[in-house]
Amino acid sequence: MRKEASLTTLIDAILPGDAGLGLPAGSRVGVPAFLESHGLAADAAVLLSQVETVARDRFGIGFAALEAPDRVTCVERAKRADMHRASGVLVACLRAYYTDPGVLRALSAGAVPPFPDGNALDDDDWTLLEPVYERGPIHRPVPS
Amino acid sequence: MDPVDVVIVGSGASGAAAAWSLSRAPALRVVCLEQGEAPDPARYPTTRPDWEVSRHTTASPFPNERAGAADYPVDDRASPIAIANFNGFGGSTILYSGHVPRFHPSDFRTRSLDGVGEDWPLGYDDLAPYFAENERHMGVAGLGGDPAYPDDDRPLLPPVPLGPMGRALGHAFNALGWHWWPSYGAINTRSHAGRPTCVNLGPCNTGCAQGAKGSVDVTYWPEARRQGVEVRTGCTVVEVMLDGRERATGVRYIATDGVEHVQPAAVVVLACSGIGTPRLLLHSTSTAFPDGLLNDTGLVGRNLMLHPLGFTEGVFDTDLRSSVGPQGCCLLSQQFYETDPARDFVRGYTMHILRGAPPAETAITGYLMRRIPLGAEHHRRFAETFNHTAGIAVIAEDLPDPANRVTLDPDHTDRHGMPGVRVTYALGENTKRMLAHGLARSKEVFAAAGARVTASFAPVRHTGWHLMGTARMGSDPKTSVVNAFGQAHAVPNLFIVDSSVFVTAGAVNPVATAQALTLRMCDHLRDHPAITARAA
Ligand SMILES: Cc1cc2nc3c(=O)[nH]c(=O)nc-3n(C[C@H](O)[C@H](O)[C@H](O)COP(=O)(O)OP(=O)(O)OC[C@H]3O[C@@H](n4cnc5c(N)ncnc54)[C@H](O)[C@@H]3O)c2cc1C
Ligand code: SF4
Repeated sequence: MRKEASLTTLIDAILPGDAGLGLPAGSRVGVPAFLESHGLAADAAVLLSQVETVARDRFGIGFAALEAPDRVTCVERAKRADMHRASGVLVACLRAYYTDPGVLRALSAGAVPPFPDGNALDDDDWTLLEPVYERGPIHRPVPS
Repeated sequence: MDPVDVVIVGSGASGAAAAWSLSRAPALRVVCLEQGEAPDPARYPTTRPDWEVSRHTTASPFPNERAGAADYPVDDRASPIAIANFNGFGGSTILYSGHVPRFHPSDFRTRSLDGVGEDWPLGYDDLAPYFAENERHMGVAGLGGDPAYPDDDRPLLPPVPLGPMGRALGHAFNALGWHWWPSYGAINTRSHAGRPTCVNLGPCNTGCAQGAKGSVDVTYWPEARRQGVEVRTGCTVVEVMLDGRERATGVRYIATDGVEHVQPAAVVVLACSGIGTPRLLLHSTSTAFPDGLLNDTGLVGRNLMLHPLGFTEGVFDTDLRSSVGPQGCCLLSQQFYETDPARDFVRGYTMHILRGAPPAETAITGYLMRRIPLGAEHHRRFAETFNHTAGIAVIAEDLPDPANRVTLDPDHTDRHGMPGVRVTYALGENTKRMLAHGLARSKEVFAAAGARVTASFAPVRHTGWHLMGTARMGSDPKTSVVNAFGQAHAVPNLFIVDSSVFVTAGAVNPVATAQALTLRMCDHLRDHPAITARAA
């Protein structure tokens, strides 16, 4: 009997976790729910069956049984065959992942929305502009 | 409905400045009709972690993608540049970046100086006091003494911090010996006019939940309303009405419930934007103006200018926290702003530094441009990109061309059956050469900064933010629609006060100049006989 890969396998092939960086895998941060709520569940299911077909045609085994790099190869091949639909799903996966609060915290990008947290407004050292001042006016004289 | 002294159509950058200016005459009854609703800052996308999602839905700057109830269809397939706007209380300033440099003196004299475009019927000096007044109201951060402008005494807040990325580029411009200057940003770098200080997060283009960005809902409007201006939202004006003597009598509008009303007014002021204003004029046909109001010369909708934009992205080896800070306000260079006979084009451009993209945009663009793969390598490559990038936008001055135009699109209508617009636009040869020059110079900047260039192209499609020229001003009624005060040549109690009246485009973002013009026009309008008679 063929064992079909699940959407979780597909999402984690695209966005695996990285323990070193403290980043979770895509399926752990609500990517599937995002696809559902943005009306992309059906497109994701089509992509899943396309990667399954590519896996069997190219590697002779199911997508779930492949090594990680070969899974990504299948996704890219499936995308080339159905660019519009597959890109829509993949872009949505990235968007879901990088708007997840846990992921944003792990990126340690300083404060990020939501407001009202913020970053300090630093002071600059405007002596950096000295050469610009010293070269003098560059605006064009206009006869009145 | 009771007649009013002035009805303003549109509550955006120019409508708000007009309302505030007219509200200083307390005897005047002023009403503003706005087709959109008032956005609620407490529900702006940035009040949620997934704010980036909204950039392609409710807070998209592209009306067809946003498809809100107040949006009218814009068919821009015949233009390499897609039209951006926001239809709601505050207009496009709700989403704008707040980058507000002034036009330069030469921008008003392109015909005399360079033999292209037309001269404006006014000059920089006429606008100087209004620029300053506008800057006080909008709360503009920046630094005085900029050698790219004449000496002036601008009422500026402290500049928006450059951040490590901005400083790196400042050094690069210095190494090249080129002009650069901190941005002029409508950003509260300290508390100003009762509004709080910017919290330096960056996503100004989905609405500032902090109220620190000078969008007109938080600058001009509170005072204008306190001083008596009435705002009616959800009211789409479908016609400017005339009597038999080429005098405007008011406007016909449809409210959200579909009920039609007439608002009689002594003076009608249009501030619907560079596409909304020609749309309304072209839709207001009558026996006197069968081809659209004020369109007896065929000029309404023509000479559309959009500031075609070139973009170069650079990636630095080090993390420069480049995504931190107001996205569109960092620094600018006007080294190539003025005509140089040694170049193969006239006029010039601004190099406008854009901060790095936020996380989701970094990942998506990186993936689509094959720089950030999926799978095991994804996180490492993302980390090498996020907060490491900067953009240089080349804002090019496009010259007025009658073939570039806005027309009505009877096949696609808004919720009330009013036609949308078709936009036809092509880049001129001068602009193409200018953009090529700008892209080459941008690459030099990144090279001097030690950054790798990962993308460089022009024109960028999704950049039609600046909508100008479609009802131009001038002294001659045969070659212009309104005079220097925005007063229609053919209908003297009808005024156009938005950037439709621009004669040429300059090479900087238009809001500062548009609002300065509006303030000047309204000073004049307050002395209009129809107004003084009623105010007496
Ligand atoms: C994403 C984005 C970024 C930008 N960044 C900058 C920047 O950094 N600096 C800068 O200078 N400019 C920027 N701009 C451009 C700037 O926002 C516009 O130039 C400016 O807001 C135009 O002012 P306006 O009053 O002419 O039109 P708008 O501000 O667009 O307001 C027009 C209003 O009229 C209403 N309206 C239209 N037709 C009707 C009708 N028939 N009946 C009733 N109401 C009507 C609309 O709903 C709208 O609210 C940006 C624009 C966008 C979209
Ligand atoms: S960076 Fe500042 S101005 Fe921009 S949205 Fe945040 S608080 Fe507002």
